[in-house]
Amino acid sequence: MIGKLILIAVGSAFINNVVLSQFLGICPFLGVSKKINTAAGMGSAVVFVITLASFVAGVIYKYLLVPFDITYLKTIVFILVIAALVQFVEMFLKKKMKGLYQALGVYLPLITTNCAVLGVALTNVTKDYTILEGVVNGFATSVGFLISIVIMAGLREKMEYNNVPKAFRGMPIVLLTACLMAIAFFGFSGLK
Amino acid sequence: MNSTFKNVLCLTVITIVAGLGLGYVYDITAEPIRRMEEETKLEAYKSVFPDASGFVDTESVAEQSDGPVSVYSSNGCDIESAVVANDSAGNKLGYVINVTTHEGYGGDITLSVGIDSEGVVKGMEILDISETAGLGMKAGESKFKDQFKDKAVSSFTYTKTGAVQDFEIDAISGATITTKAVTNAVNTAITYFGVLGGGN
Amino acid sequence: MRKCMERLFNGLFKENPTFVLMLGMCPTLAVTTSAINGIGMGLATTVVLVLSNIMISVLRKVIPDGVRIPAFIVVIASFVTIVELLLKAYIPSLYAALGLYIPLIVVNCIILGRAESYASKNKVIYSAFDGLGMGLGFTFGLTCIGIIREIVGAGTLFNMAVMPAAYEPLTIFILAPGAFLVLAFLVAIMNKIKIAGGKDTGVGGNCDELCRNCPNTNCGGRTLAGKDAD
Repeated sequence: MIGKLILIAVGSAFINNVVLSQFLGICPFLGVSKKINTAAGMGSAVVFVITLASFVAGVIYKYLLVPFDITYLKTIVFILVIAALVQFVEMFLKKKMKGLYQALGVYLPLITTNCAVLGVALTNVTKDYTILEGVVNGFATSVGFLISIVIMAGLREKMEYNNVPKAFRGMPIVLLTACLMAIAFFGFSGLK
Repeated sequence: MNSTFKNVLCLTVITIVAGLGLGYVYDITAEPIRRMEEETKLEAYKSVFPDASGFVDTESVAEQSDGPVSVYSSNGCDIESAVVANDSAGNKLGYVINVTTHEGYGGDITLSVGIDSEGVVKGMEILDISETAGLGMKAGESKFKDQFKDKAVSSFTYTKTGAVQDFEIDAISGATITTKAVTNAVNTAITYFGVLGGGN
Repeated sequence: MRKCMERLFNGLFKENPTFVLMLGMCPTLAVTTSAINGIGMGLATTVVLVLSNIMISVLRKVIPDGVRIPAFIVVIASFVTIVELLLKAYIPSLYAALGLYIPLIVVNCIILGRAESYASKNKVIYSAFDGLGMGLGFTFGLTCIGIIREIVGAGTLFNMAVMPAAYEPLTIFILAPGAFLVLAFLVAIMNKIKIAGGKDTGVGGNCDELCRNCPNTNCGGRTLAGKDAD
């Protein structure tokens, strides 16, 4: 049991890294990775939302969609649940946890359209994970996102001082960096 | 208050209409989807057992004989189902066995194996796979899957140094995990074929 | 009619979603392992884009401003599910190849972006052509990347061998890093052409500019571009 959970966690965080091998959440990965602190803020907000969303989506799927045999509505239900969840989390944090809201607040509304959230919710269902496995998978996947976006931000902060060929300035050099990171993450596949 | 009410009402109406519309489309497509899945399966059966012309579910066979149809699992593989392959006259030629392995690199792999009464593997076909494109996905290419064809062995093993003997399978380069999973799945099918009572 | 053609041209070239706006990067990188997958994904997205643009344009006076975004998402998600069911029923091989990325069309920035910035403000016919132009532009981008990756990475094009037998395919182009590599070089080439043309606007190269101009107000990059630059 624990063994399977650890296997899922390592697999989702490193081997099948959500950004570098599954290409989910590329938009924030490229867009919000200029500074380490913003990247870390975005990453933590994603960890928070994905873990919560995997749980809620898992419960709704198991106790609402499957009994009524309407699993084909899962895409539309999941995206609405995620949007609503993000709204509630934002309101809750604003009222009850001021500190956390100040740290994560700005990132929360942006997460609704982060495809990693919907992606994880759908993967949990297609892989027939139980709710606990789904939550572990969600948490590990989002930690994988956090790791890669923070590494990327660190590299980009250093690259500010590099003399990049003119045509490669901006997005191309970032994509090339992502390419090298993806190659490096291939090393983890030996873990399996 | 009035505007909140209007907002909620509008969103509810849109969602209900969308839900009903989807239900309608689902109803229309349910039949073609089922038929398409059946066709895909039948095509796979034909390609793993080219000589056969009819396939009968083992449930009905189990009523006639006392063949076991219980799920049989070993080394990360589950037997999904087994069907009897018949020739045009209705004589039993062998079995097509569907196996799912959970040890794939990208998740589960489901495949069909055709085995005739003499225990010769007639072919292997992948039904469902989600391995890495360019590496594990090559398991579905004939270069790999034809290695299992027309071989009478008790179990296959994979090798990275070039297959010499009948029971050896050349591993897909860069995809040892996939190779291992698929080879084990075929072996499980062969074992299950023995459980079914071989050709009899 | 002229405005319709203008919309088509706009989506295909001037504001090409892949190379100029750099939107919808997830499917762009993920499914372009072969040319046929690129076309399939592009066309599936185009269908959703045209239908959702039409529907949202029709409903633009009905939907209250406050619940605009959720309403758009519901409309888009319904069309995506319809496309998903149709693909499953009639083109199962494509459905199997694209897998998870079909439901994820819902969160493709291009679709919500066009709904928000164009369809919710313009007439139905123009919105339809806007969706068609953007969709075809996206298909064009995906097919280009798919063709390059398939030829270099597998030595085939549309599953037919095109390279000489002696050619040893560079499998890495089909793997994850190859996606980043090909896109990086394509954007760099676009930049080079722009620089040579004297228009060094940094389009496709400068995220601060790009992300602020992103039509999707919910896009992660847009809001933070300003903040990030500080």
